[in-house]
Amino acid sequence: MKHSQDLNEDVAEVLLSEDQIRVKVIELGKRISADYAGRELTLVSVLKGSLPFMADLMRQIELPLRIDLMEVSSYGGTSTESSGLVRILKDLSAPIDGRDVLLVEDIIDTGLTLNYLLRYLKGKKPNSIKVCALLDKPARRLVEIPIDYVGFEIPDAFVVGYGLDFGEVYRNLRFVGVLRPEAYES
Amino acid sequence: MSEVTPRETQTGSAFAHASEAEFSRILDFYQVTWEYEPQVFPILWDLDGNVLESFAPDFFLPDLDLFVELTTLQQRLVRKKNRKVRRLRELYPNLRIKLFYARDFRALMLKYGRSALVSELSGTLGQVGPRQNQESVSDDTAGTGHAGAARPLDLSTAPAGATLDAGAHDRRSRGARRRAVRRAAAAYAPNSTAP
Repeated sequence: MKHSQDLNEDVAEVLLSEDQIRVKVIELGKRISADYAGRELTLVSVLKGSLPFMADLMRQIELPLRIDLMEVSSYGGTSTESSGLVRILKDLSAPIDGRDVLLVEDIIDTGLTLNYLLRYLKGKKPNSIKVCALLDKPARRLVEIPIDYVGFEIPDAFVVGYGLDFGEVYRNLRFVGVLRPEAYES
Repeated sequence: MSEVTPRETQTGSAFAHASEAEFSRILDFYQVTWEYEPQVFPILWDLDGNVLESFAPDFFLPDLDLFVELTTLQQRLVRKKNRKVRRLRELYPNLRIKLFYARDFRALMLKYGRSALVSELSGTLGQVGPRQNQESVSDDTAGTGHAGAARPLDLSTAPAGATLDAGAHDRRSRGARRRAVRRAAAAYAPNSTAP
């Protein structure tokens, strides 16, 4: 793929501005703080896309909390080989049994990865497990999973920025934007 | 039930279209159980109760209780497929089906960094392949399973008569066919306990 030196040039439209994201993250942080008041929370972020969201969200939650990181392989993500099974590339660094866990995701579209992760994490016997996603793209959903905290429901477009990538690029954009087709069709 | 010929599984030739093979690999990757065209649903009958048209969704995901129909037809050519899915939903309102359009498949490939495959797996002719009549009632072969376990047509997820295969249909009396059709319509009716 070819991307412009100025990544902004590859963005057709800013879908969510930096300000909109900031306001929403504050709102989510308040809701989560209220819902889990008096409890200790473990935030589990799924690398790599949810890193910026996790970093911002955790600072808006006024509770004692732990954080942990996971990474799972993506279909066709590391090679052209299309066989195999999803693998945990980075597992939790601490047990979560008996803990209240909030899985932090950047975007939910098909729900396939989330479905796998939830099954995996439930096997570790947490006290509770909920999902917080910055973006929800319901038009693409295959696996219907209740998402407890949703930042924005977005239309069916290929989005990048604020952690979301195309070919590992565009994650550092401060906003969420729609990628120009030329950027991925070239 | 008539004897059916189990299809091969997990090979490119087992599917009507390469996009279906790719989709099955994605499901395998994420450990989602699937069955390939396990059921044929009648969607149109003549006045004598003979099935004139039927529809076999490409995939059934039993753990999710969801049928998935893939189409790589260009958007402007999917009217017939849309009509069939709409009809299916009318007749079997408890049945959950997701129509996966070419644009959805393209987005999926893009997401997984496999955009180079899109043109290879898509086409204006759509789902042509070894079984040209896959959507007709004469399509009497069905039933493959996950992980290479080929098995005959599985009707276990719906009450008797909810689905028909052509062989069974041909041997029934007119009254039996009518009863079967009524059961088929009831199987996924709002108050049915069927999936």
